[in-house]
Amino acid sequence: MDEPNTDTFSGFHARRSSSFQLDTPRPWLFAAAAASLLGTILAGISTHDFVRHLDRQTHTIHCSVIPGAGAQFGESGCRTVMMSPYSALFRESLWGGLPIGLLALAVFAYLTYRAVDFAVKDAPRRVETTFLLAGASLPVLMSLIYGYIAASEIGAICNTCVGIYVASAGVFGCALVAHTRTPPSPSLAASTRTHLQWFAEGVVYVLVLVVMYMALAPKSPLPEKGCGVLVKHDDAAGVMVPLASASAPGATRAIAVLDPLCPSCRALEARLEASGLTKRLSLKGALFPLDSQCNWMVKDALHPGACAVSEAILCEGDRGQNVLAWAFQEQTRLLEAARGGDGDRAVRDAILSAFPSVKGCLGSPKVRARLNKSLRWAVANAIPVLTPQLFVGDTRVCDEDTDLGLEYTVGAMIERAARPRE
Amino acid sequence: MSMTSTQQRSLFFFGIGLAVPSALLTWWMSSANMELANASSTSAAHDVELASVAEEGYCSAKLKQVLRRVAGACGLLEGARGCRPGDAKTVAALSGADFNMLFQPLSDRAGIIQFDAEQVELDAEAQALVEERWSAKRGASFFFVVARASADGNAAYNQTLSQQRAEGVLTHLETKFQDPEIRSEVGLLWLGEEYAQLDEKFCEWRRSRSDACTQKDINRSAFVAWIDCAI
Repeated sequence: MDEPNTDTFSGFHARRSSSFQLDTPRPWLFAAAAASLLGTILAGISTHDFVRHLDRQTHTIHCSVIPGAGAQFGESGCRTVMMSPYSALFRESLWGGLPIGLLALAVFAYLTYRAVDFAVKDAPRRVETTFLLAGASLPVLMSLIYGYIAASEIGAICNTCVGIYVASAGVFGCALVAHTRTPPSPSLAASTRTHLQWFAEGVVYVLVLVVMYMALAPKSPLPEKGCGVLVKHDDAAGVMVPLASASAPGATRAIAVLDPLCPSCRALEARLEASGLTKRLSLKGALFPLDSQCNWMVKDALHPGACAVSEAILCEGDRGQNVLAWAFQEQTRLLEAARGGDGDRAVRDAILSAFPSVKGCLGSPKVRARLNKSLRWAVANAIPVLTPQLFVGDTRVCDEDTDLGLEYTVGAMIERAARPRE
Repeated sequence: MSMTSTQQRSLFFFGIGLAVPSALLTWWMSSANMELANASSTSAAHDVELASVAEEGYCSAKLKQVLRRVAGACGLLEGARGCRPGDAKTVAALSGADFNMLFQPLSDRAGIIQFDAEQVELDAEAQALVEERWSAKRGASFFFVVARASADGNAAYNQTLSQQRAEGVLTHLETKFQDPEIRSEVGLLWLGEEYAQLDEKFCEWRRSRSDACTQKDINRSAFVAWIDCAI
């Protein structure tokens, strides 16, 4: 039987000192609430970073296990993870998709509420700790899945995500200890009904935030219209590199304007591959090295050595994709080598070491003339002097649609290209 | 049915737990919508240059006018091909010395393909230099081949000789590169011995031969260069 004032805050305060020992569930429930709150904050930061990018601009991303610290502007594990197709659901039907971080925010907020609500009760019951433990297993399970995806599929670690994984483990661990410190419940039938009621509350948390997000998400003004068109898409000189390994019959023609030593090009290629869009595209690469050694349109070599790598890609013909994949993988090392004392020569040596078959072709007048043809293709189409650029059919994907909005925009463009015209 | 204080407290926590993230989300989404509205007119592509052919600093209006006349007369612009000495002199409306001065800014871009006396075949070094100069096209639009002959022999013979030298360069380019666009990019001028003979200063330019060089040697040649002017 409950003592007087059991169901009031004053009652809780009155007996707090007597029941706040580690062999009771209460301190562990508070610890679970604190861990949930940490998860809520980190998931909130992750969601905030995602939402900021809905304006189609470039922003800093918080990439730290410490909330609020480590805002980074350039490439980072957090940016790579956020731009990957795994960071959001329904990417083809909503610009950017529904961020996983938002779902995590809802779940952690709910767990915080539940843990606090259980903790301030006079005597936490087994039915409550059982539910909290079951609820805490969801973020743990998702952390395991997303940790695996980050390591195996994305190949990048997001520090904020690591913080969320730790918070998930913390909630689960504390809920487990609280559970073991709580006496068993007498009635299973009653607890099932209560559990369903609490589960419904959790669903409400998720649904409310999801519906709000969907309702408030910025509208995209006909993204399939793109930002410019090609006037001369054909590759008469045969200088484009096949990029899609296995596109389906009837796939939409697409051209990616690439610099093999451009980090953004590498990121775009990875996003396209991970999105599965390459299966629906007949994708070719037009080489456009931002290296003044061969490209007169840039004053300085933004990516020194890119001309040499581009030559090697053309030298390899149908196997040029292998050189491109190698260049993307070795990009940092190649750029550092090119900026060193030996300059372009160091890059050429690295190419010859990795691809001995290009000896005799690399640097030859013939391949230089072919690379010039690739640059001339850019001139014939008067495209902007920047990389990467993606053309679906003849339409240029706007730069702001090549990261979070890639699946939505390209998906719409593919459908538009497939639509019969009058 | 009245709520117990426990239920009231739970409802309070439920509301707070849901209201805080909802309020934050509303704020963030409103900011994103406002930022999008502000930024909608400024795409990165609007601020960058468009891909175009080269236009070097030496491409003065006067030079481009002359180049255009020569290029037009040589068939690069209208589809005909080949300038005779008289044509070149007429369309350029320049003295031989002034004509040669036009090409002075091209010292880094040009090559002088040398021939044996009365010969029109390109030796290995000549072929290599033609190929190397051709592949250094960069942003240029037209490749000029200006062939000459030394003053030995009669003028008509030398005119034919220089024509064959110019055509020899073009034939080699077509054979080597098999590029269907070559004929729309290469302008041939054959000057024989009559017009714009090179002086010995051109011996210091990039040549296919490294041996001694006299005025006769330097005029048994084809001057090749890409022109970095949008004409």
